Amino acid sequence: MFQNFRHSLAWLHTWFGLVLGYVLIATFFFGSLSVFDREIDRWAIPETRFAPQPMPSFDQRLKPIFAQMKPDEHELELARDRVGGPLPQTLPLMNWSAYTTHRDPVLAMYAEFAVTNNPDDPHDHVHGYITIDPRNGRQLPHDQLKIGSEFFYPMHYGLHLEWKNLGIWIVGFAAMVMLVALVSGIVMHRKILREMFTFRPGRTAQRGTLDLHNLTGVVALPFHFVFALSGLTIFASIYLPVGGTMLERQQMEFLAAEERARGLEPEPSGIAAPLASVDAMVVEAKRRWAERGMPGEVGYLYVNHVGDASSYVSVYRAGSDRVALVGQAIHFSGVTGRVVHEEPAPPAAYSVNEFLTGLHLQHFEHWLLRWFYVLGGLAGCVCIATGFIFFVEKRKRSHAKEGVRGARWVDSLAVTAVTGMLIATASILLMNRLLPAEFAGRAAWEEGAFWSAWLGALLHALVRGAPVERARISPAWREQAWVFAALAFGAAIANGVTTGDWLWITITTRNWPVAGLDLALLVAGSVAIVAARRLRRRETGIDRDPAVAENTLEVPEAGNA
Amino acid sequence: MAHHITTGQVVSRIAAGVLGGYTFIWGFTTLTIALALAARRSYGEAQTTAYLLAFLLFLAAFLWAFAAKRVAVVWAVLGGGGALMTAIAWLMTRGA
Repeated sequence: MFQNFRHSLAWLHTWFGLVLGYVLIATFFFGSLSVFDREIDRWAIPETRFAPQPMPSFDQRLKPIFAQMKPDEHELELARDRVGGPLPQTLPLMNWSAYTTHRDPVLAMYAEFAVTNNPDDPHDHVHGYITIDPRNGRQLPHDQLKIGSEFFYPMHYGLHLEWKNLGIWIVGFAAMVMLVALVSGIVMHRKILREMFTFRPGRTAQRGTLDLHNLTGVVALPFHFVFALSGLTIFASIYLPVGGTMLERQQMEFLAAEERARGLEPEPSGIAAPLASVDAMVVEAKRRWAERGMPGEVGYLYVNHVGDASSYVSVYRAGSDRVALVGQAIHFSGVTGRVVHEEPAPPAAYSVNEFLTGLHLQHFEHWLLRWFYVLGGLAGCVCIATGFIFFVEKRKRSHAKEGVRGARWVDSLAVTAVTGMLIATASILLMNRLLPAEFAGRAAWEEGAFWSAWLGALLHALVRGAPVERARISPAWREQAWVFAALAFGAAIANGVTTGDWLWITITTRNWPVAGLDLALLVAGSVAIVAARRLRRRETGIDRDPAVAENTLEVPEAGNA
Repeated sequence: MAHHITTGQVVSRIAAGVLGGYTFIWGFTTLTIALALAARRSYGEAQTTAYLLAFLLFLAAFLWAFAAKRVAVVWAVLGGGGALMTAIAWLMTRGA
């Protein structure tokens, strides 16, 4: 189809990179924010601004709270739809679990309840969720949105398009295209080392943009490759659901055999029996971890078949001190409290997978590395954004001559994807601080602020894009940069006003989760102001980009279409 | 370069790369598991191994789909090969 291998890869790089770039930049940006999702949660829910806590006593603190947990109302509604009628008065309790990490002051608690009257699915169930302050057991209000872990993080991998996992599929395809873009980018630029150290911001906009695109793409290349790949493997069972379809029987047999090998009962016996002390099991699990030379804290507790004679308790280790995401689980009989099974070292394939997963999800404790993740992710955003701009810069003059609107459309969507995304992000944070704490349905308002701000940015970018048709810069970039700066500063100020946690106080009291987000908002807002002022100069100055001919001579392969 | 390419050619290449590539890694994954089960190896390990390789394979298949001279060959290898591997895996795991 194309002249040669390099030409076809250049075509792929340009067009797939452009179309999926709009998805990828959101994936990179919200992924970067998700690195500090727990810290963003602290900022968004002021009553959780206290130090991380270990897993509290199960017997004393958690058990009475678990005993009062109820199914989520929304899930009950969905279950009624599935069953096509009313549910039984009480749904039998199946299991309890609690989860925490070294960055969590609060504890997330979950319960599962069986839906017994669904003839289509004997394993149908609903969940109950609560979050507590583990120091006193106080339950946090249900409708407080954890903006970091419940909004930005799902945005990163699923775009909040939950229908049939559509968002996860789109992000997965975008991740595939990221891999394609990296490989094709290398093939297009054979002089990779030289280009890595080439940055000529003073030359033309097109030249400097391309240099920055190559720089950010090459410097963080291993990071981007590994993250796109591990993101795909994390959701491999969604992308390649062989175990749920063609090989369902084989997978079921495997899972049942695994349970049997562990000595754990997959189904309850129906005979009631009390639960032994879980605290004693935790002590024993910690002793066994220490014996293996890896003393640690509990990250995840799971009690299955609660109140049944076949109940068991699984104690998982928190992975704060290693990359691989592995729990070294120890399973106990819930009735006798004795160890039933200790998970052995995993086989090689699992180890590789756990390493890749852990590398991506970073449950480990290493703050410097955590910041490198943010920088890597933001480098990806810069790489994609400069890719958009290069696409427009390369074409806008010829499109202006031919009267074609392509460059204008791409530019308006790029404005929406870059500054519009920042505006949406700052809007949800500002809305979070402006709504009164007791405001009913505040989570919906916060999400509404995010989406409506983004939609507003799209409309604004479309309306203001006309100058691109005359080969000029769209003022939408500058105007949205100002809006973002105002929102970002506004959010940091609103935080101080509503909580008293002004930046100088949070820094002096070393309240880093809150200080960190305030600082990030102020830095990002300042960068936006600098960018807006420079854009102003470019817009008003004479168009000083006469170097189109020179560029096409020097880099004929850098975007052929 | 771009001026000789028709929309039909582009659509055909994209379909061959995306659908052919997907069919190929579906066949690869199911056949890897089927062969492992036939050799009395663990389902879980075989599936994890296949998953770790599948997306790299998709990447190679996708790039090749655009680089190859003739799109018919791409369809034959990726689509045909994927279907063949899936069929073998299906036959192998049907009775056992």
